[in-house]
Amino acid sequence: MLYTELTSSAQKEALERFKAKGFPTNKWEEWKYASLKSWNEKDLDWAPAPLNETSSASLQTQNGNTRFHGALPAGVEFISFDAFIAANPTIAATWEQRLPILDQNSLYDLNIALTLNTQVLWVKAGVSVDQAITHDYILSVAKASAVQSRLIVYLEPDASLTLIERAFTIAGSAEVLSNFVQEIYVSEKANLTYVKEQDLAQNTTHIDHTFITQLSNSQVDLFTFSLNAAYLRNNLHFYSDGENVVSNLNGLYVPGEDQLMDSHTVVDHRKPNSESHELYKGVLLGNATGVFNGKIFVRPDAQKTNAFQSCKNVLASTRATMNTKPQLEIWADDVKCSHGTTTGQLNQEALFYLRSRGISLANARTLLLLAFVQEVIDRVTHEETKLRLTDKIISKIQTSLAI
Amino acid sequence: MLSIKNLQARIGEKEILKGINLEIKAGEVHAIMGPNGSGKSTLASVLAGREDYEVTGGSVEFLGKDLLDLAPEERAAEGLFLAFQYPVEIPGVSTTNFMKSAVNEIRKYRGEEPLDAVQFLKMFKEKMSYVNIDQSLLSRALNEGFSGGEKKRNEIFQMAVLEPKLAILDETDSGLDIDALRIVAEGVNKLKSPDNATIVVTHYQRLLDYIVPDFVHVLYKGKIVKSGGKELALELEERGYDWIISALGE
Ligand SMILES: Nc1ncnc2c1ncn2[C@@H]1O[C@H](COP(=O)(O)OP(=O)(O)OP(=O)(O)O)[C@@H](O)[C@H]1O
Ligand SMILES: [Mg+2]
Repeated sequence: MLYTELTSSAQKEALERFKAKGFPTNKWEEWKYASLKSWNEKDLDWAPAPLNETSSASLQTQNGNTRFHGALPAGVEFISFDAFIAANPTIAATWEQRLPILDQNSLYDLNIALTLNTQVLWVKAGVSVDQAITHDYILSVAKASAVQSRLIVYLEPDASLTLIERAFTIAGSAEVLSNFVQEIYVSEKANLTYVKEQDLAQNTTHIDHTFITQLSNSQVDLFTFSLNAAYLRNNLHFYSDGENVVSNLNGLYVPGEDQLMDSHTVVDHRKPNSESHELYKGVLLGNATGVFNGKIFVRPDAQKTNAFQSCKNVLASTRATMNTKPQLEIWADDVKCSHGTTTGQLNQEALFYLRSRGISLANARTLLLLAFVQEVIDRVTHEETKLRLTDKIISKIQTSLAI
Repeated sequence: MLSIKNLQARIGEKEILKGINLEIKAGEVHAIMGPNGSGKSTLASVLAGREDYEVTGGSVEFLGKDLLDLAPEERAAEGLFLAFQYPVEIPGVSTTNFMKSAVNEIRKYRGEEPLDAVQFLKMFKEKMSYVNIDQSLLSRALNEGFSGGEKKRNEIFQMAVLEPKLAILDETDSGLDIDALRIVAEGVNKLKSPDNATIVVTHYQRLLDYIVPDFVHVLYKGKIVKSGGKELALELEERGYDWIISALGE
């Protein structure tokens, strides 16, 4: 019950729950490889001031504070959650019924407790927003801090939207733990394309919780490109709560030296005749650690579900490690589900072939790694974003292999 | 150009090359024949620098340099080319894509200016005509779903682009239809000059009708057991290898 959670007593309760549990440690099953234990001991600023940075993006979150700059596209509103609920009593009822799977997530409590302004990006029925909305999620703090942020995206029936999120840290920032919760509601026949580019500093820990509810005949194409951060965790949940729902989850992570990237995905099929396609790829450089935990639930009602999951990883260094865990729980009998995870080295034969043509070892490896990740990048239809991501990934791989 | 002395190599515990001696001069064509498993592809791989093989003895000098001291890419830049018996499939990498890198890396090694996109395309077009290869094939992922003949043709196309000093063609004729064989052989002959040399590994005389060798060598159990002129290939075609093997007293 989000709207009551926002009253101060709900926030207090959430804070109590968080205090009782603290930051997740590796004793928690879902946080086995990715402990945040050290944050329990830090002297933190829990509400760092918003910054005065400006970017070209229309939607900007600065140290957790989200604003819309410039003119809103026709049929789009950006208002506080309270105002949104007041204007939409029927939606209030819907929110009450939603049920995220919170996997021992004390961070969600922390977010409820300390988020000061929850905003809603609201696309009205039948509105197709033709220009992609860019969302810059910016971090910059003077001393060690924890930043809370929450954004609601609400698409009414037949609405369509492309969101490009760029999360980054301003150079010179002190260390920061960013705890970003998004709740996204995609109504009947609505369409959302969402590209997340996570390119944060080496002293940044970024936890992204994205919970998406989809109703009948809706489609979501979500991309998570995890490029940099000391520690990146994506808790991505899809609640497929209608028929003929299409959910596409695409992920690409390229953790480097001293970086850990962790994707925990949940696809929860609750109604019949829907499909989900999950394609995750990782290139692990240096002594990087990667985690992929992909849960698929097919509830008893969800007959004729098609759910596919694939997670492929290349260890580009002998010091890198990857932990994968697919988990399928299927209660319906007439379904098509498949999952597959692979982790391996680059093909030695292919490397030799390219070198025998005069291509240096480092360039041959870069070529093969790019060919490996291209499949995910190519699915991005927003050209400018695709080019930017390609450049960033090439340069990250090249830099790492040159060392 | 190439001087191989007592070359020995093994993979794991298995000795494969047991003392190869071979001298190749600019302008020459050498054919290497021999039964399956005798070590022909191993010799080709060792020359190209495949790291799976451990060289346990001998030396190889190529254009005045110690070949065994060079990385595979340096060997290519020095002018060595291997047309693979079994070209590998590389998903997501097209011939056009990697050959652009290859050409410019080699040019850089030689202190030459890189080719820009326009120059590269022009050169590519010209070389495509040598082996009658289609642009669409070069834009596809390397060898993925290529027919046997298309793979071989693509190898010779790459050779045409790189203009090596020494080309080693490892069973380039196998899998080619009659017309393709002629086209590929014509491509090879077109690239022939007094400055470069070719090693042709083959099982059949057929190819040698088109690419006429100056010398024919028989490799058997990791050694060259017989050498001769082009007529040796004809004799092998007729008589097989038994007479050579029995002459060895085995
Ligand atoms: N990776 C390997 N591991 C073990 N043995 C190998 C390996 N590669 C080659 N060999 C062995 O080395 C020997 C020589 O192989 P090679 O491929 O050089 O023969 P070849 O003369 O080219 O034969 P073909 O005419 O069939 O192409 C064979 O007995 C082969 O089984
Ligand atoms: Mg062979």
